[in-house]
Amino acid sequence: MKPTQALWKRVARHALSTKQTNKGYYKGTGTGSMGRHTPHGGYIIEWDKVRTYVVPKNLKDFKLTPFVTKKIKPTKGRFENDPKGAMSGEAYLARWKSENGED
Amino acid sequence: MSTSTSVRLAIRRLLHPNRSARISPSFLPSLIAPPGSVTRCTPFSTTSPSSYPRDNNPDRGVSSMRRSGPRQPLSISKTALPKPVEVSKLPKVIVDENHGLWQFFHKRDKPMNTPTEDDAHGRPWTVEELRGKSWEDLHALWWVCCKERNIIATEAFERKRLEAGYGEAESKARDLAVRRTQRGIKQVLTERYYSWSDAEALAQKDPEIDLSGDGPLYTPSYFEDQASEELEELEEELEELQEVAQAPELAPETKPGEKPSPNA
Repeated sequence: MKPTQALWKRVARHALSTKQTNKGYYKGTGTGSMGRHTPHGGYIIEWDKVRTYVVPKNLKDFKLTPFVTKKIKPTKGRFENDPKGAMSGEAYLARWKSENGED
Repeated sequence: MSTSTSVRLAIRRLLHPNRSARISPSFLPSLIAPPGSVTRCTPFSTTSPSSYPRDNNPDRGVSSMRRSGPRQPLSISKTALPKPVEVSKLPKVIVDENHGLWQFFHKRDKPMNTPTEDDAHGRPWTVEELRGKSWEDLHALWWVCCKERNIIATEAFERKRLEAGYGEAESKARDLAVRRTQRGIKQVLTERYYSWSDAEALAQKDPEIDLSGDGPLYTPSYFEDQASEELEELEEELEELQEVAQAPELAPETKPGEKPSPNA
């Protein structure tokens, strides 16, 4: 659909839409890239890019809910003034060595 | 109009005596008599002219609002109108108890939770509480959060559609709590990934760790250097303990102050 001459003047004040130009204005729909275009106008789907949803196997018997009882006070992690805190690689490695290293 | 109705009708009959005889239906060959016999033609329209009102408006007096019915009886006029069934006697819709769409509602007997029921939830998970959870637990918890948000969104849509009234604020607060739990899950996974990748980089240069694949992965150096000294100390303590244990059997009346306890 292309606007009439009278409407063109009013449409010019709005943001450009994909229905207005002949070509060159591509605007996606927010679904993301699922593959690549071929030189002859086709499209090849790259299945690594396609999102899949994996259902957790223990979902049916899962007892936890999105909420925790208010009787337990919210706890915060202790990182002993480590500036990296939870993202520290050294702490991860040290913990791995003590808990998991000798398996 | 100067002429009266009866005069007008009389004049009409005089001027058009064979009104009914003039038109012969050609599409009904059974009615067309063989030539020579007396032709009795039937009029095209079954409606007799006098049944039309004076202004020839066929819909004069016909009103659906006032339920007048048609001017001419229809074939369906012989059939009696069906009577509506009472709501309580209507056949009940059979619904599968295990239908998946039931998972979009909190309860089956009503379309949405009351505001009190919606408000009766706990607090969101803290990041510290989630840090102790395994991948499988976090994965399942995420899906539980997604399903809860779907239920909340369904009920919010129903509340708006039915104009049910109160409940939007409680619904939004519940949704916020679920979203905060989801945020914590994402935070934990991000932390784990970043710290793991940093640890992997450190492990490449760590002398205790051998990532080549031949030999043990982790050989702690601590054991080789200092453990032997600690072993000797432990053995000495063990001997002292054994002496203390044996002494009371020989002399049970020893003073407790003389022999120091090994744990002091």
